[in-house]
Amino acid sequence: MPVTAMIIEEGDNVATCLQKVAKGGSVRLMLNGKMGKTLKANQAIPYIHKICIKPLKKGEHCMKYGLSIGVASKDIKVGDYIHVHNIESARGRGDLA
Amino acid sequence: MAGRNGSATRSKRLRKTWWGYPRENGDVGARNYLLVLSGTLYANPTCERVARTLRHSVALTHPLGRCQIGPDIQRTFETLVGHGQNANAGAVIVIDHHREEGCTADEIAHEIAKTGKRVEAINIREDGGAIDATAKATRIGMEMLRELTNERRQEVSVSKLLLGLNCGTSDTTSGLSHNKATGWVTDQVVKLGGRALLAETTEMMGGEGVLADKCVRPALGKRIWRIVEEMEERILACGVDLRGSQPTGDNMEGGLTTIEEKSLGAIQKAGSAPIVDVIPWAKRANRRSGLHVMDTPGHGGESITGIAAGGSQVLIFSTGGGHTINHPLMSTIRITGNPLSAKLQADTTDVDVTDIFEGAPIEVAGRRVYDEVIDVASGKMTKAEILHEDNAFAINRNGPSV
Repeated sequence: MPVTAMIIEEGDNVATCLQKVAKGGSVRLMLNGKMGKTLKANQAIPYIHKICIKPLKKGEHCMKYGLSIGVASKDIKVGDYIHVHNIESARGRGDLA
Repeated sequence: MAGRNGSATRSKRLRKTWWGYPRENGDVGARNYLLVLSGTLYANPTCERVARTLRHSVALTHPLGRCQIGPDIQRTFETLVGHGQNANAGAVIVIDHHREEGCTADEIAHEIAKTGKRVEAINIREDGGAIDATAKATRIGMEMLRELTNERRQEVSVSKLLLGLNCGTSDTTSGLSHNKATGWVTDQVVKLGGRALLAETTEMMGGEGVLADKCVRPALGKRIWRIVEEMEERILACGVDLRGSQPTGDNMEGGLTTIEEKSLGAIQKAGSAPIVDVIPWAKRANRRSGLHVMDTPGHGGESITGIAAGGSQVLIFSTGGGHTINHPLMSTIRITGNPLSAKLQADTTDVDVTDIFEGAPIEVAGRRVYDEVIDVASGKMTKAEILHEDNAFAINRNGPSV
């Protein structure tokens, strides 16, 4: 049974997986209550964490809610687990100031 | 499971009224407590002794009121006054210790009295020490409660509600479920002429533009941008990476990667209501119907303390991780859409909106939260209220101890 992952806005780079996903497990995308295509997870994804649904190049903004939630710190492929290891905040970075 | 059916939808039509305690100044209380308010930390035990003795009383205690300067002591003073003025307090006893410059019981009581409610000031030294001051406050409080408990709730419009909005221990379910349900409730309250109060400036970082677009005047939008900028400047001045503090460790465990992501989820609580004012921490909200925004930190206790001082009678605390947070004076309704948290934190979850992830429309879950708001405003106790989880009276500081 694929795990459902919710997309908030069309064009977002990420979807939220509603259950944990094993490496290689399948994830079914859902937007506005409608089921869409199925992806394979390239890594394990913890409960309610995010999967990449549109590729990102290092330095590109990662979109969720149709707005930026940060910047890719490396290239990210479709199916990759997205979290603090590959997305960085652009705000409140006193360490960079 | 926590109360998914807790608030039975007793009528199909949205209730436009609730039952509260009308006050002389036009406010309406959701509770009719005797508030025993401490002016300074050295009066805390006396306040607690009095409140323990008197049924239907609430003590508010804190570590401040001494050796503070300028805007910081002013902020403490305004917070204490704001709580005394909150309509959930039917009468107030303020207790201080000796002479708390800029924050005396007399000064606090003087401001509270402007609401028309009964208020008395007690000074521990002048009233003969801790034991005699306790006895005097207890005797006055008992007579106040004789009067308060003889008052009856009256039916009033939802326009008399100032609904507090706060989220906490956010995770990725927050922006998808409970914050959205909260936003639906915000919209209904505002449509009925009521007010809601959004806070947590740190969690506007990345969502300023969305909020600014909701403002009824461009000048208010600029104020939203400014309060976020000032918050970010204070963070940058610390020379550290905000991550780990915001998002917090439990936010990140819950899948939130950045403060921007947390913010965009948090502002779903605003719904689609117009923003009619932007006010500093703990300032009393004006009476204009709509969404008011208060400049508070993301710290849950400080944020909801600011909201209570602003005049909210009831607050929705919308949480991903589940929560025990509860303000002693302002009724705090905890809701979650995270199925795991609804199980683990059922003891203090008042409304479960996990059905959103089973396909329930937002308005179905939102309606359940709305009904709980009306019920709690009308006297139903929240779980944490019953349990005395009085953990969230925390005064924000903007200056050093001296």
